[in-house]
Amino acid sequence: MIGASIQGSGHERLAVPCQDAHSWAITEQGVLLAAIADGAGSAQYAEKGAARAVEGAVHYLRDRLDSGTPTDSEGYSQLVSEAFRHARLAVEQEASNHESPVRDFASTLLIAVATDKIAAVGQIGDGAIVIGDDEDNVMALTRPEHGEYINETVFLTGPQALSQIQTNIWIGKPRYVSLFSDGLQMLALKMPEGTPHPPFFRPLFRFIAETSDTLSGREDLSSFLFSPRIRSRTDDDLTLLVCAHVD
Amino acid sequence: MSKALEDIGLIENPEQRCACVLLLDTSGSMSEAPIAALNEGLRVLHDTLSTDSVASRRVEVAIVTFDSAVKVVQNFTTVDQFQPPTLGASGNTSMGAGIEKALDLITERKRAYVAHGITYFRPWIFMITDGAPTDSTETARLRIKDEEARKGVAFFAVGVDSADMAKLQEISVREPKKLRGLEFKELFVWLSRSMQRASQAQPDDQIGLQATGWSTV
Repeated sequence: MIGASIQGSGHERLAVPCQDAHSWAITEQGVLLAAIADGAGSAQYAEKGAARAVEGAVHYLRDRLDSGTPTDSEGYSQLVSEAFRHARLAVEQEASNHESPVRDFASTLLIAVATDKIAAVGQIGDGAIVIGDDEDNVMALTRPEHGEYINETVFLTGPQALSQIQTNIWIGKPRYVSLFSDGLQMLALKMPEGTPHPPFFRPLFRFIAETSDTLSGREDLSSFLFSPRIRSRTDDDLTLLVCAHVD
Repeated sequence: MSKALEDIGLIENPEQRCACVLLLDTSGSMSEAPIAALNEGLRVLHDTLSTDSVASRRVEVAIVTFDSAVKVVQNFTTVDQFQPPTLGASGNTSMGAGIEKALDLITERKRAYVAHGITYFRPWIFMITDGAPTDSTETARLRIKDEEARKGVAFFAVGVDSADMAKLQEISVREPKKLRGLEFKELFVWLSRSMQRASQAQPDDQIGLQATGWSTV
C-alpha cells in the first residue's frame, strides 16, 4: 500500500497548506480500507476537515470490521454509507471544537473497501476510484462529480451530502485499487466522461506490484507527482493512493 | 524514479475554458483620450495573460462593442490567438442590445463546449461604459438577473468618468465599480489577474470584484 499526498505549486504561491489527506489500513482479515479527501480551497480549515474525514472513515471501518465482515454486497454497501456518516460526524466534532461552522472544514471524500472478492466504494465530490484486475482491465468505479462548471463540486459538509454519495460495488478480485483527488483527474481520466486512461494506470499498477519497500515506493510516487511533466499540467494539490493485493 | 512510473502516459484532455466577453462602450463620448486608454488596456490584457502558460490556453476572450450599433469585433479566442484590436468611438450608446449580444455569445459558446466535451468555468461579461444607455435595457436587465440567479454568467460593470452609475446599479446584480480617472491600464492588469485566477480556480472558489487599485470608493 502506497499513498502520497503532495502540495500543489499553485498553493505554494498562495501559502495555503496542502489540503489533501489520505489514510488507509489493512485489517487482520486482510480487508483493505482506504480513504482520501481534498479540502475545499475556499474553506478556512480545509486541511483539518480533510484529515478528520479520512481518519473518521478509516477508524470506523476498522472498528466495525473487527466484529466481522459483511456477508453480501448489500452489507458492504451499508458499510460504506456508514463510513461516510462517521466521517461527517468526525468533521462536525472538529468544527464544534473550533467553534466554527462546519463549512469551514469542507472537503471531498473517497472511500474504498476491498477484499479478494469484492470492491465497495463511495465518493462525495470530484476525484475518482479506479481499479485493475488480473486481466489488465482498468475500470473506474466512481467518476468526478461536478456541476455545470468544472470547479463546482459537492462536499462532505454540504447539507445534502449524505444523500449524494456515489456508491458502487464491484464483484470480483480487485488486484489494484487507486484513489486520487481532482488534481490528477485531468491527467488520468478522459474528461468529461470520466473514463480511465489505461496508459496512465497500467504502469502505475505495475509500479505498485514491483514495489516491495513501502518507504522507497512512497518517495518514488512523490517524485513522480512532483516531476515537471505533472507540475506543468496542474498546480493543484495531488493525492494518489494506490494499493496492490498480494496473494 | 522507478521505470514503471516513467512509463506513465498522461491523457491530453481539451483544456478547461474560461470565457470572458469584454463588452465595450465605443460611443462618441469615449473618443480621443478614453478610447486610446481603452485600446492600450486591451494590449495590456493580452500581454499579461500571454505570460501565464495555463491562462493563455484556458481564457477565451471575445470583444463586443456598442455605439449606435452592436458589433462582435472579436469572437471567442484563446489568448495565444488573440490580436488586440484598435477601436474607434462614435455614435450613441446601445447598451441594452450590447448586453443581449454578449449573453447570446455566451449561450452559444457553452453549447459548443458541451458539444465538444470541453469542461469550463463560469463565463464572465465585463462591461465598460462612460455614459447612459440610449436604448432600452429592460430585457437585458432581466436576462442578467436570471443568469446571475442560476449562476449562468457573472456580469461585472465598470463606469468611466460621467457614466450613469445609478443605471449600472439597476442593470448589474453585482455592485458596479467606478474607474478612477482613465486608469484603464490598472483595470486591465487587474482583470488579467482575475482571469488568471478564475481559469485555475479550485472547487468552491468564489469569484467577484475584490481588492482593486483602479476604482474609486
